[in-house]
Amino acid sequence: MRRVYNVLMIRQLLCAAAGCVVASAGARAQPASVSFNRDIRPIMSDTCFRCHGPDRNARKADMRLDIRDEAIKPTRSGHVPIVPGDPDRSEIITRVFASGARVMPPPSAHKELTAAQKDTIRRWVAEGAIYEGHWAYERVKRPAVPTTADGSRIVNPIDAFIQDRLRRRGLTPASEADKRTLLRRVTLDLTGLLPTSADVRAFVADTAPDAYEKVVDRLLASRAYAEQRTMRWLDAVRYADTAGFHGDNPIPAWPYRDYVLQSFLTNQPFDAFTREQIAGDLLPNPTAEQRVASAYNRLNRTSAEGGIQPKEYLAKYGADRVRTLSAVWLGSTLGCAECHDHKFDPFLTKDFYAMKAFFADVQETGLVPDRGARAWGAKLALPTDAQKRALADLDATLAAAKSRLDDAAVMDPADEEAREIALKTRWQNGELQWTWQHPIAARAQNGATLTIYDQEPVESNFYLDGSLKTDVKPGDGLIVASGANPDRETYVVTIRPGAGTWGELGLEVVQDESLPGARYARGADRFLLSEVEAALVEGSGAPRPLRFTMATVNDTPPSVSSINDPAMPPLAAIDGDAKTAWGIRFGEARNPFLALRFAGRVETSADSTIVVTLRHESDLRRAVIGRFRLALASDPFAWPPVADAGRRARSKDPSGKTTWASGLPEDVMKALRRPADDRDETERNALRDYLIFSNPDLAELYRDVQLAEAERGLLDASIPHVVTTVSVDPAVTHVLPRGNWMDDSAPIVEPAIPRFLGALDTKGERATRLDLANWLASRDNPLTARTFVNRTWREFFGMGLSRALDDLGSQGEWPTHPELLDWLASEFMHPELDAASAHDWDVKHLIKLIVMSHTYRQSSLADANSGEADPENRLLAHQNLFRIDAENVRDVALQVSGLLSDRFGGPSVNPVEPSGYLAALNFPKREYSAGHGDELYRRGLYTMWQRTFLHPSLLNFDAPTREECTVNRTTSNTPLQALDLLNDPIYVEAARTFAQNALASGGRAFNAQLDWIFDRALNRPATAEERTILRGLHERSLKRFSADLSGAREFAAQGGSHLPSAVDVVRLAALSTVTRAVLNLHEVITRN
Amino acid sequence: MNHTLVREISRRAFLGRGAAGLGIVALNTLAGSRLSAMAQAAMPQSKGVVNPFDVPPKARRVIFLYQAGGPSHLETFDYKPKLAEMSGKPMPESLTRGQQIAQLQGQKLTCFGPTHGFKRFGESGQTVCELFPHIGGIIDETCIVRSMWTEQINHDPAHTFMNSGSIITGRPSMGSWVLYGLGAETDDLPGFVVLVSQGNGGQMQPIAARQWSAGMLPSRFQGVRFNSVGDAVLYITNPPGVSRDIQRDSIQAINALNALEDRSLHDPELQTRIAQYEMAFKMQMSVPGLLDMSNEPPHILEMYGAKPGDGSFASNCLLARRLAERGVRFIQLYHRDWDHHSDVRNNLVFKAQEVDKPTAALITDLKQRGMLDDTLVIWGGEFGRTPMSQGRGGRDHHIKGFSFMLAGGGIKKGLAYGATDDLGYAAVENPVSVHDFHATMLHLVGIDAAKLAVKYQGLDVRLTGPQGGTVVRDLIA
Repeated sequence: MRRVYNVLMIRQLLCAAAGCVVASAGARAQPASVSFNRDIRPIMSDTCFRCHGPDRNARKADMRLDIRDEAIKPTRSGHVPIVPGDPDRSEIITRVFASGARVMPPPSAHKELTAAQKDTIRRWVAEGAIYEGHWAYERVKRPAVPTTADGSRIVNPIDAFIQDRLRRRGLTPASEADKRTLLRRVTLDLTGLLPTSADVRAFVADTAPDAYEKVVDRLLASRAYAEQRTMRWLDAVRYADTAGFHGDNPIPAWPYRDYVLQSFLTNQPFDAFTREQIAGDLLPNPTAEQRVASAYNRLNRTSAEGGIQPKEYLAKYGADRVRTLSAVWLGSTLGCAECHDHKFDPFLTKDFYAMKAFFADVQETGLVPDRGARAWGAKLALPTDAQKRALADLDATLAAAKSRLDDAAVMDPADEEAREIALKTRWQNGELQWTWQHPIAARAQNGATLTIYDQEPVESNFYLDGSLKTDVKPGDGLIVASGANPDRETYVVTIRPGAGTWGELGLEVVQDESLPGARYARGADRFLLSEVEAALVEGSGAPRPLRFTMATVNDTPPSVSSINDPAMPPLAAIDGDAKTAWGIRFGEARNPFLALRFAGRVETSADSTIVVTLRHESDLRRAVIGRFRLALASDPFAWPPVADAGRRARSKDPSGKTTWASGLPEDVMKALRRPADDRDETERNALRDYLIFSNPDLAELYRDVQLAEAERGLLDASIPHVVTTVSVDPAVTHVLPRGNWMDDSAPIVEPAIPRFLGALDTKGERATRLDLANWLASRDNPLTARTFVNRTWREFFGMGLSRALDDLGSQGEWPTHPELLDWLASEFMHPELDAASAHDWDVKHLIKLIVMSHTYRQSSLADANSGEADPENRLLAHQNLFRIDAENVRDVALQVSGLLSDRFGGPSVNPVEPSGYLAALNFPKREYSAGHGDELYRRGLYTMWQRTFLHPSLLNFDAPTREECTVNRTTSNTPLQALDLLNDPIYVEAARTFAQNALASGGRAFNAQLDWIFDRALNRPATAEERTILRGLHERSLKRFSADLSGAREFAAQGGSHLPSAVDVVRLAALSTVTRAVLNLHEVITRN
Repeated sequence: MNHTLVREISRRAFLGRGAAGLGIVALNTLAGSRLSAMAQAAMPQSKGVVNPFDVPPKARRVIFLYQAGGPSHLETFDYKPKLAEMSGKPMPESLTRGQQIAQLQGQKLTCFGPTHGFKRFGESGQTVCELFPHIGGIIDETCIVRSMWTEQINHDPAHTFMNSGSIITGRPSMGSWVLYGLGAETDDLPGFVVLVSQGNGGQMQPIAARQWSAGMLPSRFQGVRFNSVGDAVLYITNPPGVSRDIQRDSIQAINALNALEDRSLHDPELQTRIAQYEMAFKMQMSVPGLLDMSNEPPHILEMYGAKPGDGSFASNCLLARRLAERGVRFIQLYHRDWDHHSDVRNNLVFKAQEVDKPTAALITDLKQRGMLDDTLVIWGGEFGRTPMSQGRGGRDHHIKGFSFMLAGGGIKKGLAYGATDDLGYAAVENPVSVHDFHATMLHLVGIDAAKLAVKYQGLDVRLTGPQGGTVVRDLIA
């Protein structure tokens, strides 16, 4: 039987409705019989299978129409659904032609058959009701390449398949696009960037027959090629930089992204790429790269919301894995089978859970912590060799320091008792308490305003016992920052403590709801205090610097660490290194208190002042403390008080007198209040720890341990980590009836591939993820190669050969060129063309075949004839044009303006983003902090992918949030895109820099500058009409900016990039309106 | 079938590397074409894919006052004297056995009586918590549904389910569906606007932008969030130094250049692009006027309790009315921090101060402008709260029964619909699922939920999910 695959379902419906012949292949050579796959399956899948298909539970009247043996059997009622060759005796024919209550499909289904569809079904039954297996589930066979008389426009077999179909429809392929268009197209498609002017000149000048191939090879070898491929792959595997649920905190994932970059750069075979991601950890002696690859299994969204039921979330994570795998590798909607047998394809609910069971060994928890040592579960550290050595050195140092301290700390019981009595006495005498300071002056060096609230009332908003309270009370020494909010700030506070002897300086960081950065800082998501300095001033004498020897926070040892992050240790505030800082990110409703021990006692007289300097010099913008108090303690070992936000640290000492914080950990105070025999273990340990901490003879040794730990924490924080897959004993996997995670009544399943696709031979062993990966990437699998090839095709033509990239099943679209799809799939798995230079599963080979074809290279202009015959251009008589993807919109603007960073890989970055965009987030409450230097100008690919609030510029241009796997982006065209390109600061800065470069390098005359601009943005000269329009804009802008110099200055000052001081701002501003208009052109963001 | 439609569909298909590339087909357009000419003649026309309307629309727009965090039905609209009697006693296990629970997992479950009194209001005599006297004052305009239930017990998925009818992300939100179905009545403002206000008490649970996402629908149907900080609409303000004249001049130049390109390049997107730049400029011109409340008389500001520009729920309610007047189809106001795991008693006082007066003012204001009849107002959150106590006088998340308040847009007035059991645990009388609520909402705006679908991953995706929802006809006037 000859198949003519030229009708896609939707057009068939339309044609049918319009009364034209079904399967209206204009140039069909012979009257075709009805084909099940082409003509009947789409109709039945849409209208019959829901009730008469694979889903046993949904089946009505015991009738099944998707399998011939079932469809020709009499049903319970005695009717025979289909009598092959005899439509009049076939119940389905009677019913589809019936009217009223008996009509099929019933009116309640909201599915009506057209008259033409009914006729088609009737003809099919009359012709014998021949069924065919669904195309995508049949093994890939390499089809013969059509031969053709006219080979003039045939570069490779792709063209033969395409042109064979065109010819039979009476169409001819378009001629090759002009060289400039072709170069722009292939450069954009392969790299996401534009060709440079030099690239265009070289290509135009190169008349060698292999000029184009040389370009293709150059582009395929570039890093930008890997970046472009990676961008698409990351959509599919739902790679993002944050958790996606609830607090949506950052996850360590970017090394996985870099793994993907390297894979595409080195053209790793796709089968190995598949294996490493799904089961890299199960490979024999896995390399670090392979274990990084296995992060794939951990890229799903996770929740750290308190009160989640772990089992429910484990069910969600598992289901996500099946959906993703099935869309990315199998082009199937197996996710539908979570709750019921698939309605249209032969996937059963059992298949869904059997697939889920492959991942049952992945170590994970339902609630995935987003903070602390256990954050994100299994992680892999990726130290450099130098970092490994440094880590080993530090570990040795730390161990030695600990053992020295332990040795020295052994006390005989009598000694211990004496110390305890002395401590209790000091405590009861109030010697450990803190004295809050009432500053006499406070100023900020970079522009913020500091106000001291002492007796003056100040409003405070803070959480206490789960609700927000507002207090208006005297500030009692509170210092509040307001006004200008620079990225970095230094506070200088002067206190006059009066006569006394001081052992420690205290800093209470005061939370307030008005502060966007975790309620501590004036921005960002934490405060970061780089350095604290102090100096003593006596009379008119020079300030005498006071050194600190120890920094303790109320949650550091000896009590349990909870809010401290090893990457931001207290000691970093006194280490003289502005790059390191003490900071806190989480710690809802806590006022952290930093106690800094002076090197030696500080004596003050009545007039002495102490000047305290708080430096915030971190790269994280505005991680600057918003409210704080200072305190002093006489004792060098006074413990920092623990305070809830809003509730001042008070405690009652044994005498019953209320004092300010008593200067001991809670558990130590509890211990001291009881006879020794009544203390519990916590209290005993706390007391012993404190006695060690406060023993002056041990102070050095104690400090050595703290320093080594702080250094280790800082080093560890500088080492990249990535979530990874650790295999443990597999959890039991039940089928969940209707997806209900609470229902354990259904059978347990073992890992298995969908039954109708075969079975894995694992010699009786439980099948593993590695078995799954091997099956996915085997040549026996009918779906993996077809799915990947179809998706790849879309990147070069704007549409897949089957448009439903994630559904090659019966509800998907019948491919326009099934033989071509299969030929490409076969060639991808096992190249026979240029076999010597290619390997199996060779992505670059596949892509090179596509972009070398005439089909790819032809012009996108349709002739009138093909437009009529094939309005959607599914037969590809010409190329398509489409808007470039979100990241590339950014990349291109930065590239032509000269701002683009060419750094490859590395941590994700924060480009400029509107303030307040993250205001609806919490845990922690946060404000966006843009990066610095070239981090602001990196390719869109590297943007921090915040799932719940994706960067608005990416979102506007249809980048997916990657909360779920996305294999097909939408491409919309909205006013918000126009606003973005016109007004987003990054595009304004790009326009300004572009103009600046045009002024510097484009010559003096406007015409020459315009040529220079067009050459870069459009790779062509401006036409006379374009010149007229832009000259008009330029002249009017010159006039307007001349009259509005401050406007010109503001416009010319956009962005963080360098503005030369010698520049004429009016000329720059005026030319910037021209570059801005050019960057907004449809042509710039369209791939032709 | 006429040629315009064929063209429109092939154009859609073409545009859609997106739309059609996804396998999205405007099923409704096709379905519409199959309706008989007679039915078409009787039905008014919409501006979206539901054309003509599936059912005669009663509401032209929707304002959803979304109380995020999960308001306690037991301290708002669902008075349970029996729970007060049982307060402090163990919760009957017959109710709770095998049910989902959030933070109270593994804890003793104790009845916790209402922490505030209730009063009868209006001629309809509805009982409402006495903290809400203003809502009580307009109670005869409303219908209280006391039998809502949902399927998701944690905030993030529960929001997603309430908004999109699915817990799998990537489905369109209800505002996107309505906009897709009906189109907008304005072309200088977005058709689906989202406003978010912070509360002054309780817990600020995060809200993801996913909640107003267009999912697999083209992104022009997504909700556009108006911000109270910075640009009201992102990138709506001209760059510093760029005057309105320069902006207009620049956009004209861009459009003139694009029009030149259109002569040689046959890209249907080009005409759209030109139109979008025009619309962008119109938005730039109209948004400041929309936000400028200086022309609102003092008695209106006073009625809402709004201080323009403060980003409060009250100001957003007033802004919602202004958006409704300008033809915005779907307006969703999120008001945060109803998550009262502790001290529900005091926190409710905060919340009542924030929402009682503005909610009543919005309904009163719409009514006095003759807009209430065709504006559907919805008040409710993603779930309710347990009749059991948690921690210090708090309540945990609860999905088996909670309350919604509806008004205007074809809703029966003065009705109390459905009921929970005596302890306020489960909806036992006329339970209304989230899908039923969605079906009813769509019905009121003229859409049959079963018909409005897009094809995605082989499925006909609907707001009401694969199972569908039932229109609650008893709610409809």
